[in-house]
Amino acid sequence: MKGKLKAGARFRFINAQTRTGWLFCAPALVPITMFIILPFCMSIVYSFTNKMLVQKAGKVVEFVGLKNFIKLATSEIAQQAFLNTAIYALLVVPIIIILGTLLAVLVNNSMKGVKILRTIYFSPQIVTMTVVAVVWSFIFSPGPDGLMNSALKLFGLQPQGWLQDPKWAMFCIAIMYIWQSLGMQMLIILGGLQFISEDLYEAGRMDGCNAVQRFLYITVPMLKNTLVYVLISTTINTLKLFTQVYVLTNGGPKGATTSVIYLLYKSGFINNQLGYSSAIAVAFFLVVLMISLFQNKVLGRDNG
Amino acid sequence: MKTAMSKRKKALYLMLMYIVYIFVAFLFIAPIIYMVVSSMKTDAQIVSDMSTYKAFLPVGTLTLDNFLQVISKVHFMKFFKNSVVVAIINVPLVTIVNAMIGYALGMLDFKGKNLLISLIIALSIIPTEAVIINRFMVANQLHMLNSYVGLALPTMGYPMYIFLYYNHFKGMPKELMEAAIVDGESYGGIFWRIMLPLSKPICATVIIMSFIRTWGDLLWPTLVTRDETYRTLPLALRALSSDVYIFWGQIFAFATLMTIPVFIIFLLFQKQFIQSLTMSGIKG
Repeated sequence: MKGKLKAGARFRFINAQTRTGWLFCAPALVPITMFIILPFCMSIVYSFTNKMLVQKAGKVVEFVGLKNFIKLATSEIAQQAFLNTAIYALLVVPIIIILGTLLAVLVNNSMKGVKILRTIYFSPQIVTMTVVAVVWSFIFSPGPDGLMNSALKLFGLQPQGWLQDPKWAMFCIAIMYIWQSLGMQMLIILGGLQFISEDLYEAGRMDGCNAVQRFLYITVPMLKNTLVYVLISTTINTLKLFTQVYVLTNGGPKGATTSVIYLLYKSGFINNQLGYSSAIAVAFFLVVLMISLFQNKVLGRDNG
Repeated sequence: MKTAMSKRKKALYLMLMYIVYIFVAFLFIAPIIYMVVSSMKTDAQIVSDMSTYKAFLPVGTLTLDNFLQVISKVHFMKFFKNSVVVAIINVPLVTIVNAMIGYALGMLDFKGKNLLISLIIALSIIPTEAVIINRFMVANQLHMLNSYVGLALPTMGYPMYIFLYYNHFKGMPKELMEAAIVDGESYGGIFWRIMLPLSKPICATVIIMSFIRTWGDLLWPTLVTRDETYRTLPLALRALSSDVYIFWGQIFAFATLMTIPVFIIFLLFQKQFIQSLTMSGIKG
């Protein structure tokens, strides 16, 4: 009797939670279903068809098998877009991790004014990427009187074409992102640093480790979780490169800055090839998934 | 003698540190100074200052003409209004709606919960930009193009923020909840009256991050807006900077004006934001 009553009470208990639970999930789940999951499924389906963004009169949507993917695999522009995006990520991610860690170590003390410095280092984050792109494009003016070229001249170096030079364009675009994002990553790493106990460093000092050894053998291993987080989030962020390309170069010069998302936008929205654009989306998604799984597996986060 | 030596050594070390600090600070802040200073110069002055240190100093003929031009001729206020309306719809919704699901997943116990959690984690690693063209197709079917609703609502549910909230609520003490249940509080009431007020730092983080995102988003507004009527600030700045005749002073003035609101939001929520950001790497 008693047990039954308890079971009944427990049932009501769970019921109220289930009701509130789903009710509270709904306002976020509805837009997610409509604007992420549904488009995602559409991308998969359309990637096997010749659907257009605006269907031409008299043209029927047909199943075309792997045609879009074959086109993607053989297109030089597409290969270049994936390569460019990879180069961009490989330029940005290591620099952010190394400089971010160094900066975090630099400001991880209680010297006078260090809090203000942290805020200053962080401040580029509040400048919108479109603004960042426009301002830095002036800094990278290609003329011999441009700001960056004038700085080069001080060191006796030749002026460069920067954004107009296929060799340098992606480098310029990477600098903009690094400048904007470094302070934010520094703060995240700083959070990790402040969790490392001072005792560990004391023990290191007792064992006769110098500053460099303490950094390599205490700081870096203790920071592993934080650094993996920064690595994964920065990688995903760099892979969706679009703004700088759209504002400054439209993919040029000579396709040197065409990113995957820019290509996806251009082929779907401008060239009306929704099927092909969807195939790019699917391929891109698979690549991102593989990178995330790889990073998670190889670096494995200790769940603490 | 020895202490005097080490004192001098220490002073030297401190000075060196500050030189490094200030040099790095300059690298971070110089482009912002360049932008603000140039917004007050004539185009001729900007060009003649470009190759020297004067680019970073408010020297020469200074004028507010650029700002007046940007407001009267470039219609800054129209685009500003569009961006503000989108942010006012989007940011509070993003902050609350994702907190609600984060609370449900983190603190409540219900059927289907684990499946939802896996779904959210999976979704948070997909760059949603990848499905943007088909998101456009959905918005088109729903007649949301060229409207504030179309600009603001589709980005409302954001898996990464849900994940952030989920982690936060999962770490909240369960005793708090049990005590409230004993007091006769409902599960909904616990969220509104107890958990949400306790979650200010994480809410501040989401407010700042989603505001920066909405304010600066370029891709989605490019697809959704058809003409100038609903154009947001980043789109207008892009149009201004890719015009046939480029007025540098005006571009810098436009860029400066458009940065000010983010600066204000950042100042308002800065303390809680930095506090929870420094925690995110450990928890996330």
